[in-house]
Amino acid sequence: MKFRLNKTVAAVSSSALVLMAVPVIGIASSSSAASKPTFTIGYQGPLSGGNAVLGINMKWGVELAIQDANASGRLPFKLQAAFYDDQGSSTLAPAAAQQAIANKSLVAVVGPAFSGATETAEPFYINAKIATVSPSATAAGLTNGKTNNNFMRVVYGDNVQGQADATFLVKKKLAKSVEVLNDGSFYGAGLAQVVAQDAKSLGAKVTTASYPQSSSCPPGTAPTSQYTALATQIKTSNPGAVFYGGYYCDFGLIVGALRSAGYKGAIMSGDGSESSSLISGTSPSSAANGVFLSAAGGSSGGNFTGALEKQFLKISGGVTSAKALYAPQAFDATSIIIDALARVNTKMPVNKIRASLIPELHKISLKGITGMIAFQSDGNLKGSGAGQIDYYQVQGGKIIQFGHN
Amino acid sequence: MKDLWQNPRVKRIGAIMLIAVLVTVMTGPEGNGAEPTAGFTGSFAAQASFFGIFTVQRWIVFSLLTLIVVGAIALAKFVHRSWNDRAHRGGSDASAMSTRTPLRRRLDMKSSRYVFYVIVLVLAIFLPHVITDNSWQTQIVQQILVYILLAIGLNVVTGFAGLLDLGFVAFYAIGAYTTAWVTGALPTPPPFHMQFNTFFAIPFAIALAMLCGVLIGLPTLRLRGDYLAIVTLGFGEIIYLFANNLFGITGGATGTREIPFLSIHLGSLKYLWGLNPVPYYYLTLGFVVLFLIIFSSLEHSRVGRAWVAIREDEIAAESLGINPLKYKVMAFAIGAASAGFAGVITASQTLFVTPPTFTLQFSINILVLVIFGGMGSIIGVVLGGLFIQIFVVYLEHSPPSGYNSQDLYMYLGALLVVMMIFRPAGLFPSRRRRREIDQIEAGTAPDAVLTDVGPHNRVQEEMS
Amino acid sequence: MSYFSSHFTTLGHEFWGLLVGGIANGIIYAMVAIGYTMVYGVLRLINFAHSEIFMSGAFASFFLMKVLVGNSTPNAFESVVYLIVGILAGGIVGAVMAVGLERVAYRPLRRRHAPKLAYLISAIGASYFIYNFVGKEFGRINLSIDSPFINNTVFTIFGAAVQTYYIVIFVVGLIMLVSLERLVATSKLGRGIRAVAQDAETASLMGVNIDRTIAVTFMLGGFLGGVAGFLYSIPIGVVYTMGFTPALKAFSAAVLGGIGNLRGAVLGGLLLGIVESFSVAFVNGAYIDVVAFAVLVLVLMFRPTGILGERLGRSA
Repeated sequence: MKFRLNKTVAAVSSSALVLMAVPVIGIASSSSAASKPTFTIGYQGPLSGGNAVLGINMKWGVELAIQDANASGRLPFKLQAAFYDDQGSSTLAPAAAQQAIANKSLVAVVGPAFSGATETAEPFYINAKIATVSPSATAAGLTNGKTNNNFMRVVYGDNVQGQADATFLVKKKLAKSVEVLNDGSFYGAGLAQVVAQDAKSLGAKVTTASYPQSSSCPPGTAPTSQYTALATQIKTSNPGAVFYGGYYCDFGLIVGALRSAGYKGAIMSGDGSESSSLISGTSPSSAANGVFLSAAGGSSGGNFTGALEKQFLKISGGVTSAKALYAPQAFDATSIIIDALARVNTKMPVNKIRASLIPELHKISLKGITGMIAFQSDGNLKGSGAGQIDYYQVQGGKIIQFGHN
Repeated sequence: MKDLWQNPRVKRIGAIMLIAVLVTVMTGPEGNGAEPTAGFTGSFAAQASFFGIFTVQRWIVFSLLTLIVVGAIALAKFVHRSWNDRAHRGGSDASAMSTRTPLRRRLDMKSSRYVFYVIVLVLAIFLPHVITDNSWQTQIVQQILVYILLAIGLNVVTGFAGLLDLGFVAFYAIGAYTTAWVTGALPTPPPFHMQFNTFFAIPFAIALAMLCGVLIGLPTLRLRGDYLAIVTLGFGEIIYLFANNLFGITGGATGTREIPFLSIHLGSLKYLWGLNPVPYYYLTLGFVVLFLIIFSSLEHSRVGRAWVAIREDEIAAESLGINPLKYKVMAFAIGAASAGFAGVITASQTLFVTPPTFTLQFSINILVLVIFGGMGSIIGVVLGGLFIQIFVVYLEHSPPSGYNSQDLYMYLGALLVVMMIFRPAGLFPSRRRRREIDQIEAGTAPDAVLTDVGPHNRVQEEMS
Repeated sequence: MSYFSSHFTTLGHEFWGLLVGGIANGIIYAMVAIGYTMVYGVLRLINFAHSEIFMSGAFASFFLMKVLVGNSTPNAFESVVYLIVGILAGGIVGAVMAVGLERVAYRPLRRRHAPKLAYLISAIGASYFIYNFVGKEFGRINLSIDSPFINNTVFTIFGAAVQTYYIVIFVVGLIMLVSLERLVATSKLGRGIRAVAQDAETASLMGVNIDRTIAVTFMLGGFLGGVAGFLYSIPIGVVYTMGFTPALKAFSAAVLGGIGNLRGAVLGGLLLGIVESFSVAFVNGAYIDVVAFAVLVLVLMFRPTGILGERLGRSA
């Protein structure tokens, strides 16, 4: 009798086993009972992909805050961090959010970091009554006309940043006409819209265009040469200034194209482009010199100092907080969550804790690293934002801050 | 020296060593532009544990693994050969008589196959009670069931009708965007300015997807295999481009507004799907079973036989009165239907539709499921799809070091090449497909397949 | 009507500039299209993975330029040397990748007489594998290349600035394309390639080594593709996904000119480059890709054999 294994049976039954077994393996739960209860603060943001640089900065800020709080020993609970990678993408954000929600010890979330991701993840956080305190999601659309109160942000929104940018270009750079470009993203298009409106109301002639095909952020399939056509058009129309609402990867390509076409006017972008990767991604790198950037930084000493900075350097592997954009904001976001948590009854079940944090956070009035933190009812910071938007310029291959609004 | 190079055994050892090195680097750490060799040196020099027994540098671990694998293959061959020798020595009836044991005969019976399906169905129905984690449940719907839906749809196009469609994701996109449109989540107002219930988006989406299948198919399905693939690829890219750029119509790169929850309001029948993934699971499962039944009966119907005829010898089929274009377009439309429905499920569960979901990469992912499982075999595609997707979900959830979620397509690409070299019929091929491929490889297929030239599938059109 | 008139005025203003740019792009497309056309002529196969050969050439020269040029500004003599070295590097890596690709992804299929579909699927798999591997090892963000020469306007023609970059492309492209044409038309190697393209069985009866000829065909196409990658990336840098779109356009160019026909590839490339360049005046940047694709679909539907017809065997 020939030895013949019935392949179909074996395959089919083993696949049925795999179907049952693997997900079960995945749900390993390990919680050791400790004397102090342990709570998790989650962070959702890009930890991989083209935007990871910004996301990792914020991760470090969160880690620093939690380390600091645990070390102080004055809290009746222990804290740990959990990180959820959404690559800054609005498509991947819901899945990351649901993972965070499923974490049974998670009480609040720092993030989501990117505006597009926030928009698609928020319905899930709203439903789960989890407070989301974002260090960087600046899109105006996130708070305009929304009724949910679980979203807060510790940076001034794009309404403020856009106005600062328009004022800079029209008033300081005396541009009579501005070409406003955007990458079609929730953040980029929103910021560009504010800049276009404000520039127009300040008296400049404004033209807008949208380039949603992303070339490299995260690597998309658009050809990197799509901006040479744009550069030709801009060279012909020669506006006084060009503003780009979007991220550093595509902005670098635009800057390179504009410079090589011979455009001599002012080129500016917002906080999505404020990154050293902007310079390494511009061809040639020297073309980035002279480019302007803005970011909501809070020039009221918005960096870590002293012992805190030393600790941060250890976590970040040498990157200073001055270079790590949004790390201080993430630190502040985490700190206010910890502060609010210390004031609620932590013996309640986790969903009650989550829900009770929301009104607690709205009551906060704290001086953080980046400035005074108190929220309006729509989740934006109180205050007009004057002096809170920093202007930067790329000089000699480095991003230098030279003023604020 | 040259003779040494030609020696097959040396070639085989060389090939195995090269593959081992490649796997070592593939599973190693990443590099980046500033340190291009970091990935390579790290792959060999970094510390790794050998099944937790001891920790040494990676190249040692991989050399050991290679030796073990080579040894295992040699052992298996030896065992197989000695078993067969013994069988041959055992009796003359071994080859002449049927080698189907009573067990095999039992298993080949249709009734046992139905029993198996029922068991799987029951297990599937109880799955949400075993896996109670919400995020896992959503993953199962979005990453596994939706992919299975798409794979069986592509299987109709590629497996049944033999058309390589690289733009299949376009139908998925159409289903998702139609859902958004019909429920008023797009900048364009919904048809008749009526905001429909998301549930009623299902027939809309399926109908529209099928219509697009016909529209795209009619002009392009006259083209030959390779060209059809490239043209469908182009159409997929065009749909993505329009979705991304037409801000006023599709919401552009930002995507749609929030889509209302799925719900039914029919007189006394009221149900709201909400954010809980379990009802979505049951809804999707129900439709998966429905589509499986429909496609399966199609396969054994007249239409299915027409597809087989067209696949094997189009000219002969035409001479029998089968209109190839009609049946090919039909395959497109039918495959599009399941993709359209999958789009509805994605749109209504994730509540937003954004363009980055609908890339060429996604089409290739579905293609891998179909190829891996076995083109043309529904059960093969389902099993193959389950295998790969469960593995992918698991890797995403607990990625081993050296694995980045973006590396997935590197592995899928390698898998495609390997499948084509070693087992083009797929892992669980239908018997008919396997026979077809064997015929082609032996060179005994009908002439039309071997001598096709030019973009059109007609021998007469060869330009002289 | 005014829509058209305003766009035509823009076209009129920018005509020579767009023409020059279009020819430069066209030469790059032509060099890549030759890879597709030669492989198709010999194997009746669309080498889907040719985009990754283009990309590998670009990456190879990127690393070489980083080492050679770095942050310095080369003088005229150094520029020429670096340029030649960069071209050789890009071309050689492209050729090696192409031959390797043939060996690994296509030859096993040829040995078992696999169905046509299998080749295309294998090509797709190889393409995905290669570019994701490069992304993993060398990073996934755009990296700017250190240009071996300084880009100045050399002279102006009818108001259009002709930059050093364009001159480089014209010269290099001309040399490569003409040499290849001569090689295929007159040399023994070329005769072998044309013979295999025309009738593989008879060619092997005549003593042509099929395997070797196919490998050489891939090598030649790969060399040109790699050089094209280097030239293409000088103004915009490299990124691991850079191969996809230009290669798809080059494929359209090859079909436009007549797939399997060498001169057709050159003609198609130039035509497509110019048409694309002029369409800048009419459509938004993101839709320019649609132009190349529309050309492909129209050609396939109305004149599938292209402008010059389909034969590689016929070089005249």
